[in-house]
Amino acid sequence: MDIESDEGRRDFLTLATGAVGAAGVAGAAWPFVKSWSPSADVLSQATTEVDIGSLPEGQMITVPWQGKPVFILHRTPAQIEAARKADGEKLPDPAKDADRVKRPEYLVVLALCPHLGCVPQPIGTGNYGGFLCPCHGSHYDTSGRIRQGPSPKNMQVPVYDFKDERTLVIGKATA
Amino acid sequence: MSKIMEWVDARLPVTELLKSQATEYPTPKNLNYWWNFGSLALFVLIIMIASGLFLAMHYKADANQSFDVVEHIMRDVNFGWLLRYMHANGASFFFMVVYIHILRGMYYGSYRKPREILWWFGIILFFMMMATAFMGYVLPWGQMSYWGAAVITNLMSAIPVVGEDLVVWIWGGFSVGDPTLNRFFALHFLLPLVIFGVVILHLWALHAVHSNNPVGIDLHDEKDSIPFHPYYTIKDLYGMGVFLIIFCAFVFYAPNFFLEPDNYIPANPMQTPPHIVPEWYFLPFYAILRSIDFLGSFSKLAGVIAMGGAIAILFILPFLDRSPVRSFRYRPLSKQLFWMFVADCFVLGWVGYNPADAAIFEGALPLIVIGRTCTALYFSYFFLLWVITAFDIEKHTPVPKSI
Amino acid sequence: MNYQQVVQLHRFTKQASLRSATVLFFAAMLLVVVLPRGAVASGGVALPKQNWSFAGMFGQFDNAALKRGAQVAIQACMTCHSLKYIKFDQLRQFGYTEIEVKALAESQGRTKKDALLSGMDANAAKDAFGVVPPDLSLITKARKGYEDYTFAILTGYASANDLALATRVMADDKISDEEAKEVASALGLDMHHLDKMAEVLKRMAAGENFNRYFPGHFFAMPQPLSDGAVAYTDGTENSKIQLARDVVTFLAWAGEPTMMERKSLGVKVLLYLFVLTIMMYAVKRRIWARVH
Repeated sequence: MDIESDEGRRDFLTLATGAVGAAGVAGAAWPFVKSWSPSADVLSQATTEVDIGSLPEGQMITVPWQGKPVFILHRTPAQIEAARKADGEKLPDPAKDADRVKRPEYLVVLALCPHLGCVPQPIGTGNYGGFLCPCHGSHYDTSGRIRQGPSPKNMQVPVYDFKDERTLVIGKATA
Repeated sequence: MSKIMEWVDARLPVTELLKSQATEYPTPKNLNYWWNFGSLALFVLIIMIASGLFLAMHYKADANQSFDVVEHIMRDVNFGWLLRYMHANGASFFFMVVYIHILRGMYYGSYRKPREILWWFGIILFFMMMATAFMGYVLPWGQMSYWGAAVITNLMSAIPVVGEDLVVWIWGGFSVGDPTLNRFFALHFLLPLVIFGVVILHLWALHAVHSNNPVGIDLHDEKDSIPFHPYYTIKDLYGMGVFLIIFCAFVFYAPNFFLEPDNYIPANPMQTPPHIVPEWYFLPFYAILRSIDFLGSFSKLAGVIAMGGAIAILFILPFLDRSPVRSFRYRPLSKQLFWMFVADCFVLGWVGYNPADAAIFEGALPLIVIGRTCTALYFSYFFLLWVITAFDIEKHTPVPKSI
Repeated sequence: MNYQQVVQLHRFTKQASLRSATVLFFAAMLLVVVLPRGAVASGGVALPKQNWSFAGMFGQFDNAALKRGAQVAIQACMTCHSLKYIKFDQLRQFGYTEIEVKALAESQGRTKKDALLSGMDANAAKDAFGVVPPDLSLITKARKGYEDYTFAILTGYASANDLALATRVMADDKISDEEAKEVASALGLDMHHLDKMAEVLKRMAAGENFNRYFPGHFFAMPQPLSDGAVAYTDGTENSKIQLARDVVTFLAWAGEPTMMERKSLGVKVLLYLFVLTIMMYAVKRRIWARVH
C-alpha cells in the first residue's frame, strides 16, 4: 500500500520533471532557430522611401527595395486611359486597373517578370505600350498586367503607401 | 516500435550497446558529487559547439571586419547577444569544470593503474582545449585578442634556430594580421570537433576499465555497483541544473565579468594596452612562464619549457605516484601536498594577473619572487609525491575492504 | 582493527580532509582577493561609485534620461566623437518621435538611416588634438570601471578654483606642507610625492587639461561639458553633473542596446531553471532512496 502510492508519486514526479525539462530544451532551441531570421540591420532595409515629387509625367524610375527592383511610373492621362479601357477585355489574369494603383497617376510594380524573374524593359516597350520582358517575350500593359506571352500572372504590386504628397514608402515597416 | 528495433539490432546492435555502456553500465555506488564534472564537461562542450556553430554563421574572419561583425552579432542578430555571451562565458566555465575534473582525478588517484591511458587522453583534451580557447579569443579582434595572439605566438621564437621563421610561418606575415586571423578561425572551428572525437576515446578508455571511486579500491562484488541509469543519469542531470543556474546568472547578469574591457577596443597594431593579461584560465601557466627570468639569454626558452613542462609533467604522474593506495583520503601526506598544490595554483594565478614588475608590502616583496617560489612549489608537488611514495615515507591509514 | 574502528577512522580522515580543504581553500581565496588591492592601490585614483538606474538584476533604463543623454551626445560629444554602431532611427526606441529623429539627423546633415557619425574629419582631429577621438559606441564597456569611469572622467576636470590654486602654489616654484595638503584634498594628488605634484601643477598652470581620474592626469580631451552647455526642453536642470549623468546613461545604452532584453529574459530563464532543478533534485532523492 505504502510502497504503491510511493511508486505512483515517483512516476508522476518523474513524468512532470521530464515534461518540464523537455519544454526547456525546446525553449533553449528557440534563440538558435530565431538567429536565422533577418537581423535588425536587414529589417531596417524593409522599406524604401522615394521622393516622387520631381518625377515628370510619362517618366519612370527604378528603385531598389529589399534587394529587388521596383518600377515607379508617373502615368500620362493617355496611359491611364489605355489601362482603364482594357479592364473590360478578356485578360489572362483578370484585374481592374483601379485595384492595382492607389493613385491613378502612379503605377508601382515589382519589376520582376512573374514568369522566370527577369527584369522587364522600361515603359513604352512591347505590344501594349507597357513593359516587355526580354527573356521570353511577355508583354505587359500600362497597368503591368500580362497581355501576351508565357507569363501566367500580372506584375506584382508591392505594399506601398503615400506618406505625403511627394513621398512614397514601399514595403511595410517591421518592428 | 520493437519490430523496428529488432530489425536495426540484427544489423547494428544499438540496444546492446546502450544496455552495456549506458543503462546497465555498472557504476560504483559511492561516487560523490565531484564525479559529476566529467559529464558536465561534455555538456559544456556541447553548449560551446552549438553556440559556436551558430556564431560562425554570422561571423566573418577579416581584420577589417571582425570587430564590427561581433558588434553586429551583439546588436542586430536575433538573440546574437545571447549566443555570444553563452560562448564567451562558456569558455570560462568549461575550464572551471575541467579544472575541477582534473583535480578530482588527482585527489582520488584516478590516474593510477589501470587508468593511465584514460588519464593521458584527458591531458590531451586539456591541451587541445587550451589551443582552441586561445585561438577563439583572437576572433573578436579586439586589443586583447590582438596582443594576446602576438605575445603567445611570439613564444615560438624561443625555439632555437627555427623559432623566428616558425613565427613568421604561423603569422603568414611579418606580424599578427589578416592571414593569422583566418587560419585561427578555421582551426578554432575544426579543433572542437577533434576534441569531440578524443572525448569518445576518453569514454572508451573509461568504460574499458570502469570508474574509479572515492575509496579508490577495485569493486569486488555485485552489490558495490549500481546501473548507470537511472541513478547517475538523474544525478548528472541534477548537477547540470545547478550548473546552468550559475552559468545563466553570469550570462544574463554579469556577462562581461570574465572579459577584459580592453577587448571592446578594436585591435590596434600600433599600440599595446598598458597592462595585458591572458584569460584567467591561463594565468597560472602565464605566471610560470614569466617566473623564469634569471637565466639571461636562456630565460625565454626556459620559460616556455617550464610552461610546457607544467602540463607535460601530468603525463608521467601515474608513474611518479608509487603508493599502494589510490585515494588520497587514506594518504595523510599526499593529501597535504595536494592542497598545497591547489593553493599554489591560485597564488600563481594571482601572480599572473598582476603586472610583472608589481610588488606587495610597500615594494618589499616583488611578485616575481613569489612567482618563482610558486613555480618551484608547482613542480615540487610531483617530485615530493614521488619521494614520499617511492621511499615508503607515507604511512597510509586503513583502507576499507569494500565500499 | 575491527570494522567499527575502520569506519571511525574513515570518518575522521574524511573530516580532516574536509577541514584542511576548507582552510586551504579560504587561505587561497584570501590571497587572491585581498592581495591584488595592495598591489594596484598605488596606481589609479579610486572612482566614486554611482547609482545607475539600469544597474542590477531588475535595473531599467530611464527613458527621459536616455532622451536627454542622446541630445547631449549629439550636441556636445559628436562635435569630435562618433557613435558608429548607432543609427538615428534607433533613438525612437526610447521615446523620440519620427519627426524629432528626422530633425536631429538633419541638424547633423544626415538622414535618419545614417549612423551617428561626427562631422569632424579624422585627419583634422589628429591635427587638432594629436589623436583621433575614439568612437563612443562601446566606451562604457571598454574601460575598467565602466559607467563610473566615464562619469568620473566627464566630471573630473579641474575647476577654475583648482586652476587658481595651481597657479598660486606654483608662483614661487615651491610647495609648502600647507599647500601640499590643500592640493592633495582639492585634486586628489598624493602628497608624499612632492616632485610629481609639482610637475602636475606646472602643467596645469601651463593650461593643460587636468583630470583627477585619468591615469596620468593629462590627456588630449578638453573639458567637454559645463553647466548649461546643452539646453534641455523637459525642465530638467542642465548642470554639468546632470548632463554627465544623462549622457553616460545614453552611452551605456549605446554600448548594449539589447541590455533590457537580456535582463528580462534572464529572470524567466533563472526562474525556470530553479523549478526544474528542484524537481530534478526531488526525483534524484527518490531514485537514490533505493540505494541508501
